Amino acid sequence: MPGPLDGVRVFDLTLWMVGPWASTQLGALGADVIHIEQPSVDPRTLGAGVPPTINGTSIGYMTWNQNKRGLFLDLKSPADRQTAYELLQTCDVFLINMRPGAADRMGVGYEQVKAVNPDIIYTAITGWGEIGPMRDKPGADVQAQYFTGFWSVSGAEGGRPEVYRHLSQIDATTGNVAAQAVLMGLLARKRTGNGQRIHVGMLRAGMALQSGRIAEYLHTGQLHQPQGSAAFATAPDQAFQCQWGDWIGVAVTSDDEWQRFAEAMRASEAKADGIDELATDRRWNSNRERVARRSELAALLQTAFIQRPRQYWMLRLSEAGVPCGYPISFETLQHHAQAIENQYLREVETSDWGPVWTGGAPWEFSHTPARWFGACLPGEHTGEILDELSTRRAAADMPSPVTGD
Amino acid sequence: MPGPLEGYRVVEIAEGVAGPYTAMSLADAGADVVKIEPPSGDRSRGWAPSTNGGDAPLFQALNRNKRGIVLDWSSEADLETARRLLSQADVAVVDKFGLPAELRWEALDEPGLTYCAISGFGPKGPWADRPASELAAQMASEATSSLGRIGEAPVRHGSDIGSVFAANHAIQAICAALYARDDRDPANPAGGQRIEVSLFGSLIAMRSTLWVALSNPDEWWGFHLDSYVKPPDHGYQCRELPIYFSLARIRGDAFESLIDELGMDWAREHADYEKLRTDGAGSAGRYAAELKPLWERGFARFDAEQVIEIVQRHGGWAFPMHDYERLSRDPQVAAVGAIIDVAQADGSLMQQVAPPWDFEETPVSTTMRPAPDLGQHQNEVIAELAART
Repeated sequence: MPGPLDGVRVFDLTLWMVGPWASTQLGALGADVIHIEQPSVDPRTLGAGVPPTINGTSIGYMTWNQNKRGLFLDLKSPADRQTAYELLQTCDVFLINMRPGAADRMGVGYEQVKAVNPDIIYTAITGWGEIGPMRDKPGADVQAQYFTGFWSVSGAEGGRPEVYRHLSQIDATTGNVAAQAVLMGLLARKRTGNGQRIHVGMLRAGMALQSGRIAEYLHTGQLHQPQGSAAFATAPDQAFQCQWGDWIGVAVTSDDEWQRFAEAMRASEAKADGIDELATDRRWNSNRERVARRSELAALLQTAFIQRPRQYWMLRLSEAGVPCGYPISFETLQHHAQAIENQYLREVETSDWGPVWTGGAPWEFSHTPARWFGACLPGEHTGEILDELSTRRAAADMPSPVTGD
Repeated sequence: MPGPLEGYRVVEIAEGVAGPYTAMSLADAGADVVKIEPPSGDRSRGWAPSTNGGDAPLFQALNRNKRGIVLDWSSEADLETARRLLSQADVAVVDKFGLPAELRWEALDEPGLTYCAISGFGPKGPWADRPASELAAQMASEATSSLGRIGEAPVRHGSDIGSVFAANHAIQAICAALYARDDRDPANPAGGQRIEVSLFGSLIAMRSTLWVALSNPDEWWGFHLDSYVKPPDHGYQCRELPIYFSLARIRGDAFESLIDELGMDWAREHADYEKLRTDGAGSAGRYAAELKPLWERGFARFDAEQVIEIVQRHGGWAFPMHDYERLSRDPQVAAVGAIIDVAQADGSLMQQVAPPWDFEETPVSTTMRPAPDLGQHQNEVIAELAART
């Protein structure tokens, strides 16, 4: 059964991560994504050259260009530009992440593409937006993490805020948001019959990711101070150390869960002052009172948790319907039934880099399943795609495009 | 002008972050969203902080543009109301955990409905029935290994990243399913289907770059974009504030000039000078942890703004590290309208983050309706339901 976007074709003029990740998602949803690279591309610069490499290619390129076909086009050459326009007539979506103005110079600004295909969903992705003092500045994940305050709300209890040591999260978020915008544009086209131009930027996508925390700041004027594993909005919602040193993460986010948690703790074999009275002690009456006395409550609970092994608490709290979990490393995760059975983590074959581990499709569809396959080589499907165009041309009895400079 | 999703009807039976964020995005994009809450209300109404005992700002920020009703799952009449609402809807957004069995996809007979169930850990596997939480999902997906120190207490990402990642995926899946709905697959003529999205799966998908890096690299010195082995990173401290810093393309004479201007003559005698000249990716650099104290010794004499100016002028990368206060005052944030005012029922204005997309033909409305009070639209929605039946 084909995916939900079967029949949709995407002209993917993207590079680095933010644009390519949007089209990786669209490809997984079944769209025919044609990823454009310059024929002169230096393989060492693919995926921004982000190390490490596999067989000389950046793992960035390999991750961000899955679920696509590769086409070489030199948009500076008139012949290739003509091919681009011909291809664009067959496309539903145009995707680009370059600084404002770059598309116009390459002959693929919105007006130029619209002239070729008025129904196109033209989606431009920028770092900072298409207006404002920073519009022309390059954007990258790291800057967006630092600029949007993404780094500022994490850290050890009582310590300084610390940076999330995994770059790519704002890139990927913006790519996801861009894929949403494309999908909404396709839906709107069904109703209105019209294509349109869409813009998505990393600044706003990165801020939207933090909508809850930012609203809290804007409402109270108080900056969040790092508090380790503990949530800002709810308590108890943090990690506790169990017997033998293992950590368990426990989250109580409603009054109903609090009652079940209190009962599970009362019924446990752990002894601690106040552990039997959690449900009735007025100090813990509501979530907001628990948050206000978080340290006091955490100290009480820690006294109990340390007395029994993690698995003891996992069983008891899971039975009580209290959300809980524990840290898992990649080495465990890649063999973990929960990740494997849902195909959240999977191994895919690639053209030039052997089998690689990757995240899989994050959605399950009951009727139109998503797909996932390894990255294309740059230009890997050039011959095949050009053949398709000439077949189409022959069928429509159209002349070949003018060639030669 | 109507938004891109004008005309679609959505029913939300969800609480907290992931489900409400999903449905709010659909509402921002023009869909008509009815939020069903239990008599006790969405749990996040009672989350911290609250300045006046009212609904939490997070609740208000994730539930705008919706209409709200209250239904009690212990009442057969209310279950029937929910079924009728779903039968008139295009989309359902539900939290899988806590949902009554009668409203599960399998129990409904709604072949035209796009039904999106959000869970903690996904539809299959040993943890399929475990309740969701942000912390458990961050830990299980090893997202917490990008913070703190190995062997010490875990540190979570302070924003609800797993929940919002799941929401972003849910929005994609819902729109894609709606797009496919009209294809009239003979095996599924009504076009509806069930979609499953989870916090755990979403966090794993978002770390894909790391999984590929761990596959079979030519050389391994820790993931360039991440590291378990690096210490906590607080940026590069200047006199008053930290910044991001990377040499980027600064080489040769430009490097010597940078060292001069920062007054770092002493560094030329340092054993690590060669590394200092060539390790170019800031905190992600190979030798970042060793080199950072050297750079910070130089930066300590200047304000952040001065260092940023000097480094950028030499061709390097340097950027401010904003907290939410500096972010909210930044001219670029104002220029792109990233923070909007949402008029509340009492006439006051509440600042929230704007929707992240710009549609030229079908723009998102700039007039936002505030999050509903508990049961605010009960009569209106029930009357509509009766009128349509």
